[in-house]
Amino acid sequence: MIVISGEWVKAVDIREYMKENIVVFDGAMGTMLQRKGLKSGVLPEVLNIEDKDTIIDIHRLYIKAGAKVITTNTFGANRLKLFDCKYTLEEIIKAAISNAKQAIEGKEIYVALDIGPLGQLLEPMGTLKFEEAYSYFKEVVDLGVKYGADLILIETMTDLGEARAAVLAAKENSNLPVFCTMSFEQNGRTFSGCDAVSMTLTLQGLGVDALGINCSLGPQEVKPIVEEILRYSKVPVMVQPNAGLPKVINGETVYNISKNVFCQSLVELCNKGVGIVGGCCGTDETFIEKLSKEVCNIKPIKREIKRVSAVCSYSKTVLIDGVRVVGERINPTGKKLLKEALRNKNLDYILKEAINQIEAGADILDINVGLLEIDEKNVMVNVIKEIQAISNIPLQIDSTNKDVVEVALRFYNGKAILNSVNGEDKVLETLLPLVKKYGAAVIGLTLDERGIPSSAEERIKIAEKIINRAKEYGIDKEDIFIDCLTLTVSTSQEQTLETLKAIKYIREKYGVNTVLGVSNISFGLPRRDLINRTFLAMALTSGLTLPIINPLDKDIMDTINSFKVLNGEDLNANNYIKTYINAIDSNKTPNKVLEGDNSKYDLHEIIIKGLKDEAQNATKELLKNKQEYEVINDYIVPALDWVGNKFEKGEIFLPQLIQSAETVKKSFEVIKSKLLECGKGSELKGKIVLATVKGDIHDIGKNIVKAILENYGYEVIDLGKDVPKEKVLEAVLKHDVKLVGLSALMTTTVKSMEETIAYIRQKREDCVFFVGGAVLNKDYAKMINADFYAKDAMEAVSIAKKVLG
Amino acid sequence: MNKFDLNIDKSEVLRYLGYKYQLIDENLSKMIDKGIKEIKELSRPRYIIDYFEISKENAIIKLEGDLLYLEGKDIYKHLINSSKVVLLAATLGIEVDRRISYYQKTDLTYSLILDACATQAIEEVCNILENDIRSKLKKENKGLTYRFSPGYGDLSIDIQSRFINILDATKKIGLTATSDNILIPRKSVTAIMGVVESNISNEKIGCIGCSKYNDCNFRRVGEGCGH
Repeated sequence: MIVISGEWVKAVDIREYMKENIVVFDGAMGTMLQRKGLKSGVLPEVLNIEDKDTIIDIHRLYIKAGAKVITTNTFGANRLKLFDCKYTLEEIIKAAISNAKQAIEGKEIYVALDIGPLGQLLEPMGTLKFEEAYSYFKEVVDLGVKYGADLILIETMTDLGEARAAVLAAKENSNLPVFCTMSFEQNGRTFSGCDAVSMTLTLQGLGVDALGINCSLGPQEVKPIVEEILRYSKVPVMVQPNAGLPKVINGETVYNISKNVFCQSLVELCNKGVGIVGGCCGTDETFIEKLSKEVCNIKPIKREIKRVSAVCSYSKTVLIDGVRVVGERINPTGKKLLKEALRNKNLDYILKEAINQIEAGADILDINVGLLEIDEKNVMVNVIKEIQAISNIPLQIDSTNKDVVEVALRFYNGKAILNSVNGEDKVLETLLPLVKKYGAAVIGLTLDERGIPSSAEERIKIAEKIINRAKEYGIDKEDIFIDCLTLTVSTSQEQTLETLKAIKYIREKYGVNTVLGVSNISFGLPRRDLINRTFLAMALTSGLTLPIINPLDKDIMDTINSFKVLNGEDLNANNYIKTYINAIDSNKTPNKVLEGDNSKYDLHEIIIKGLKDEAQNATKELLKNKQEYEVINDYIVPALDWVGNKFEKGEIFLPQLIQSAETVKKSFEVIKSKLLECGKGSELKGKIVLATVKGDIHDIGKNIVKAILENYGYEVIDLGKDVPKEKVLEAVLKHDVKLVGLSALMTTTVKSMEETIAYIRQKREDCVFFVGGAVLNKDYAKMINADFYAKDAMEAVSIAKKVLG
Repeated sequence: MNKFDLNIDKSEVLRYLGYKYQLIDENLSKMIDKGIKEIKELSRPRYIIDYFEISKENAIIKLEGDLLYLEGKDIYKHLINSSKVVLLAATLGIEVDRRISYYQKTDLTYSLILDACATQAIEEVCNILENDIRSKLKKENKGLTYRFSPGYGDLSIDIQSRFINILDATKKIGLTATSDNILIPRKSVTAIMGVVESNISNEKIGCIGCSKYNDCNFRRVGEGCGH
């Protein structure tokens, strides 16, 4: 030990120690406390103060057993979990670290500040905001630094988003080594669905010093999961399993394996490359004693790490070891409807674009929301959040605005691709540090301040510059994708082969993946599809691996699917056959009549029967001979009335009503795009703001009301769920809205409804409110000063008619 | 945890959907069957059951070691004959939530159906667990009161977080509560059951005895919640 300004500090940073030694952590704290008579449900952190001798004793037992690192008794020490604790967070953490230090008695032992989950789930599955979670963790980290922890251990995480928040808080607010482990189930996933590879890619990208698995399973069950981590992790791997699987015997939880089996399994894992071991639930000092004896003679193994190009979300990794499709459709350039959706914050439209591309076979989605008149930063985060709420497809952040890039990479749950940097020094200096910090992959465009070079050689030079510069920032080659840029063949014919030449060279020379937007090639020519698919085939042959395309374009997807057979990627043509075998069948029987052929129905009947898939064609047919308003007045409105009437009489029930509503929606989509085409705006009856109030996330009812109101021609501004009153007011003022619908399902959140109404009335006395939700009724609605109570969606329509006409 | 061979009773699913013997066409019927199948595949039922002694003081029920105070006349009545309670926490897992959210964006009708199927699924999980406990207690000549959840009657929902902490349910089964006490994963249940002598009648309260009598959603559409 050496002394610096009166403080004992460790002679060797643990990161150095790890290089030469297998690190042994301690075993369980909870198990030891239970052994000492702690009842379940009592906050163990309180004991740091009220029974510190017990805590110090436990630490001492582990040190005596040979643990090199002891973990502070702070698993649940955060503001959320200690909400009803009589001590402050600072008092607890201070005491916990002091206890650990007392137990060390000057020995060369490291103190790990233990950080467990907050106990609330982050958005989008829960309601806790990423930055809130971050600030709770930051508070703990700050205290850990203040009171002198040697390293930070983030453990038992099950949500990758929460683990990210904790790691970022640790990295940004301390210089301490950061270790992070998550808990998996036997199916290889955490409770929130995260898999080992996605965890590994994401956490190592954030720069943790070690990562791995703890708790949840015994050392034998974790083996396949650990092996997978070992294959991909570029940083040391840590394992702290339970003492087997838990069993409840006479009300006591016991674990099923002995310390011998435990140690033997961990030694095996060390021989495979695990560098840090310890115990979780069910382990005690006898396990650690045996373990430290067994591993003290093993040196850390040099592992063979699979260096792969890969991106991931919170629960899905896409390895880029072949051709992967990047969907291009979420990009407002040249798309009227998407522009309108972005301006109106119509996220549903954007989500549909996402879903359509996913269902058409996209592997990754490009997200570009750059539109001058919108707040790109805000919209980008919302789009990422909404897509990640419904799909685990990895995303590619398409922006060059530093602020947008930073917030997007920070918020995105997983390892994203940044689209893009180029050879300009200023761009590289601005964006590469962000790519490194958040562990993203990055696309490098082969252009610079001088524009797009005309020769392949010049492009290759820029590619080389980008690759080298990225390396200086610590970004590995496998995380760089080079875009050699497509120029329009009709105007720069000689450029096409230069692009392909550059791809081929870069792929062969540097082994990096290559990106290309394809459809640009055919601009200005007839039958663009022919040029597009032929160029795509040429580019793929030259070594293109990440085509940015429209996956809904069947020609393009067919080209890719067949290319994958021809280049050997689709082994035995398995996928190809699976995709096309039915196509062959239907070619054979072109005249077969589909069962339940619905084409004979007219739009009125289609709506009544709720035949969603038929609505668009039927509407298009009608519009050939009729005006838009005629279709609405002669077909849609009467059908809606018929359905609404039947519902009110109880002759049809809710799913049937919704089915018809969704059918009408499809029909309206056709009418709306026709109107936009002719430059006419759609005539809407009036605007209504809808929200599920703060504190409540039950929003199915609200969504139903929205669907029906839209059917009747009202413009619904849907603010979503858990909406603070300030946001409702903002929307009311911004859109000058007279009618507001609020929903709440719980008795406790009706209060929030009352507050929202009062708050808005202060500023907009004339605002009319209707409310709905399971616990409400007419009297209750009156009590909270709502103007109307809507018992169901149809009643919401009659209220809207009354108020807005 | 393979004991959860869920049935997902279609008639119960229909009840959650507000069905009152309307004509159902084949499409809709198939959609419900698909929902039932999908929820069976998606659900990963996990649970915790633990027993605690209770004491009663000034009409407040206290769990041993002052772990939890249960206040309210409904819970008091519920546990009047018990000196021991069972705390139950069960969940279907987060994938169910994700899928329902997905369909809310693509197919509102189906998401509604899926939601109803999941509600029925977690009910069945709880029924299976309750029956297990019941038959175990029967051997000891004991009985069990029905499942009483935070937020029922006048028992405050604010105990939700504490309840979860006592069972260590976040770590063990991935169950969390929002700061407004909504359980996440959404298709989850926390409940309290009282252990009683077997000769004590164990009748459900029925609608009249329920403090939610005036604002019950089920009753409004002419049904009951089953208690």
